[in-house]
Amino acid sequence: MNDNAKIIETVPEFLAHAVALEDESAERYEMLADAMEVHHNDEVAELFRKLMQYSEDHAQEVQTLASDMTLPNIAPWDYNWNCPGSPENCDCFNDALDYQMTPYQALNLAIHNETRGRDFYAWVSRESPDPEVRRLAGEMASEEQEHVDLLQAMIANTDLSREAPLEDLDPPNTPDG
Amino acid sequence: MDTTLTDNMSPARAIAITGSGGSGAVTAGQIMLSAVAKAGFYGLMTRSAGPQIRGGESAAMLRYGAQPVACMGDVFDILVGLDWKNIDRFIDEIPLDANSLILTDPETGPAPESLQPSGAKILEIPFKEYAGPVEGGRINMAAIGAAGAIAGLPLDALEAAVDDVLGDKGEPVVSSSRACIRAAWADTRAMTTMTLPAPAARDRWNISGNEASGLGAMRGGVRLVAAYPITPASEMLEWLAPRLKQAGGALLQAEDELASVNMIIGASFGGVPSLTATSGPGLSLMAEGLGLAVASETPVVVANVMRGGPSTGIPTKSEQSDLNLALYGFHGDAPHLVLAALDIRDCAFTTQWAVRLAEHLQTVAIVLTDQSLGQSRAVVDPPASFDGDYARITTGTPGDAYQRYAITADGVSPMAIPGTPDGMYTGDGLEHTPAGIPSSLNRDHAQQSEKRLRKLQDFDYGEHWAVQRGHGPACLLTWGSASGAVFEAAERLTAAGRPTRVVALRLLAPLRVDALREALAGAESVLVVEQNQSGQCFHYLRSHDVLPPHARFFGHAGPLALRPGEIIAELDEVN
Amino acid sequence: MPTAIATEAAPAPRAKDYKSGIKPVWCPGCGHFGALSAVTKALAYLQLRREEVAMISGIGCSSRLPAYIDSYGFHGVHGRALAVASGLKAARPDLTVLVAGGDGDGFSIGGNHFLHACRRNMDMTYIVMDNEVYGMTKGQASPTTAPEWDRSKLTPYGTGVPSFRPTEIALAAGASFIARGFSGDPSGLTKLLVEAIEHRGFSFVHVLSPCPTFRPEQKEWKQKVHPCRMDTTSNAAEAARLIQGDDGRATGLLYVEDLPVWQPRNEGQADMAKIEAEFRV
Repeated sequence: MNDNAKIIETVPEFLAHAVALEDESAERYEMLADAMEVHHNDEVAELFRKLMQYSEDHAQEVQTLASDMTLPNIAPWDYNWNCPGSPENCDCFNDALDYQMTPYQALNLAIHNETRGRDFYAWVSRESPDPEVRRLAGEMASEEQEHVDLLQAMIANTDLSREAPLEDLDPPNTPDG
Repeated sequence: MDTTLTDNMSPARAIAITGSGGSGAVTAGQIMLSAVAKAGFYGLMTRSAGPQIRGGESAAMLRYGAQPVACMGDVFDILVGLDWKNIDRFIDEIPLDANSLILTDPETGPAPESLQPSGAKILEIPFKEYAGPVEGGRINMAAIGAAGAIAGLPLDALEAAVDDVLGDKGEPVVSSSRACIRAAWADTRAMTTMTLPAPAARDRWNISGNEASGLGAMRGGVRLVAAYPITPASEMLEWLAPRLKQAGGALLQAEDELASVNMIIGASFGGVPSLTATSGPGLSLMAEGLGLAVASETPVVVANVMRGGPSTGIPTKSEQSDLNLALYGFHGDAPHLVLAALDIRDCAFTTQWAVRLAEHLQTVAIVLTDQSLGQSRAVVDPPASFDGDYARITTGTPGDAYQRYAITADGVSPMAIPGTPDGMYTGDGLEHTPAGIPSSLNRDHAQQSEKRLRKLQDFDYGEHWAVQRGHGPACLLTWGSASGAVFEAAERLTAAGRPTRVVALRLLAPLRVDALREALAGAESVLVVEQNQSGQCFHYLRSHDVLPPHARFFGHAGPLALRPGEIIAELDEVN
Repeated sequence: MPTAIATEAAPAPRAKDYKSGIKPVWCPGCGHFGALSAVTKALAYLQLRREEVAMISGIGCSSRLPAYIDSYGFHGVHGRALAVASGLKAARPDLTVLVAGGDGDGFSIGGNHFLHACRRNMDMTYIVMDNEVYGMTKGQASPTTAPEWDRSKLTPYGTGVPSFRPTEIALAAGASFIARGFSGDPSGLTKLLVEAIEHRGFSFVHVLSPCPTFRPEQKEWKQKVHPCRMDTTSNAAEAARLIQGDDGRATGLLYVEDLPVWQPRNEGQADMAKIEAEFRV
């Protein structure tokens, strides 16, 4: 929890945060999808691309909601997240991140992110003084919860018997120098 | 005493002045060169010195005549000793014979024994007596007057030369110097009846090789130089620094040669023609950076003023021993341009040509000169300018999908200059696709290396690749500063009824194989002459299969210059 | 000053517009992804024209960055990025020049150029992504690696040599802007980059950027990194105390001062006739 976060008070400010959250999330999933594609982990690449698409869609929805408003221009470092960094911005140092990661691991990573996103919206829906903000935040929290549920379902369908992959026996390369 | 100087076979006269500890031998040389110029002649002045930064022994050597002078000849007509301290350092560089005259002040002691075997005649002149009565009078000025008189130089030329060289030292220095010259000249004039050829009276310049190189660079459009000081290139940088600034450019003093070469790559990438100047040790350091310029197709020029090698070698002496480094010094297959100036005047033309070629062909041009050109001054015809329209091919506003390294008919790909919209690309030393994306694929390496080779090989360099003079069954083949002695040897031989042709190479790489074969066609003997130990150019030409089987190498490493007489002697020995 | 771009017709570019579209080859989990993200966000925030930005790099994983940004770029040889950038800026002061590289490229082979670039204080931004290892060549110790790290085959007993201290050396060498960021905090890093680019002078941004492949233990940096406990200072002596007492994991703008910037003025035209007249006899 970021104790210094100022609670969000206006709809435009909230929507600006929501757009940023989804944009960052999309960017992060895209980077992961690309990285997995470059490293030939196609299954997980596809998964991350799907998640990227969800985030992009959600960002688009928020933009539509905001189409008749002027959203404040918030510098990337001035967002009032309730946690360090943007909530769904998957931290690079998740232990599971690896070119050999399994869909199971990827899904868990995504659940972690979506949960944080949900928690952010939930926090706003609780704490904001503005009823419209609370309403919108509540809706988005529910949507994030749906994502989480969806991901849990996907995990249930994943072949969990596929354990962590065997160690890559090949030595590393030195492409540039 | 009959001190009439007889005219040698050579129409030029040569004077050497030595001295030490502040006696001003070099200044005397500069004044005499200026006097020679004002009297309407051409001339060449070189210097030699001990290791002390100031006050050591030094010598100035000057040769002049009615025609351009490109080497020091075989023998000096006059040797002036301001004093004789450590003259032995210069004995080998100042050959004398029985016709030579040694001017010496009896007060400084007898001329050394080491000069006796030459058979040169001693002429005692009391320099100190002429200088004494003059307030601020200097011995070297008296020597100038005496030597000038014996050499037949007019007094007004000598006096004007003092103003030219010492003008900024103030009126007292100028007038006291002139007074010494006048006093010595008047007395000595009566002692000899030397004839001088009629002067040239054409427009001439007084310029050093390093200055000429700098001029050529600026004429070629260079506006950014990044460099690290090194003997004997530093004067080029000193000349360029203020002039580049006035021209809207700049000279960056870099922290080392590794920085220099990479800085000029950066500036050139930014669209500005750029150059650095160095010598052998610096060129060695730059090898990796120059390979980057070749691979990324970024135009840059390196002016390499060669000195005695290997390693630290002899920084103050000349040699032509960096050719191997210039030709072969980059790892990988890295075709690039290597040029060499033939004489001081040619430093301007060759450098300018090199800049234009590098810009137009987007490659590295190494211009080889050497200490004997760089740090010597000459009175020459105004240097020719290269007039070709060789622009850097840029993109204008590129369309979609601009490809920096696109394969084209002539191998040169239009280059987007930063600031141009839609031209963004990343230049790379890694092998790359036409779009500039790093690639390890065979197809890309084959395409790109072929392009980099073809753009140079297929280009029409025109007539400037070499200077050819004369005809005849005997052929002398040379490059760089050795050309001076070679041309003179060929002239003497031809005048003596042994027609000799000369091919002096200016463009060493890529080698114009067909043109060179044609130039050598019908030669019964080919002697490759250069100033290095192993015949670097000779072996290079051999490897391209352009030399007839009987071709031979003649030369030696520095510090002594090649002389016409020794080239002729070599030919005599063989025949 | 770089020219901003939003017009009526063309909406302001967003961070993703500064990406070239080429997929990075970095290992999943590489810290440099965060740095790349922060660079694009900083460029977007500043609304710089892509064609007026040039990113110069050397050799190493982080030196791959220019290819992933839609700007002019130059991927040079190992250790010489600052020299290329200095030549470029001298010739083209109108461009925004960014330099990227790693701890080996910048502090080992590039060490000499680092010193002189700080000293010259030309207006450019130097981003060093420090993962305390040579990732590209399979995991050797770098100058910033702790002396006791013994996992490299080249130094199986550890280097035994105390680490290079980049921020201290930058200060001593005359840099006018010294900051440390963390690629795991792209927003914070974005702010530092914006300030670095806007600062007139040599801006050194030391970015802690973990290597998951050769230094997996660097995951713990997330816990170790902390905001700098003191305010930014422009007093060099204070900065020295601050930086020397630093544990190497403090983030923020440590030191900034307006110092003289070295930049040739590039005005004037060559008067060749006048130059040539000097030689006339």
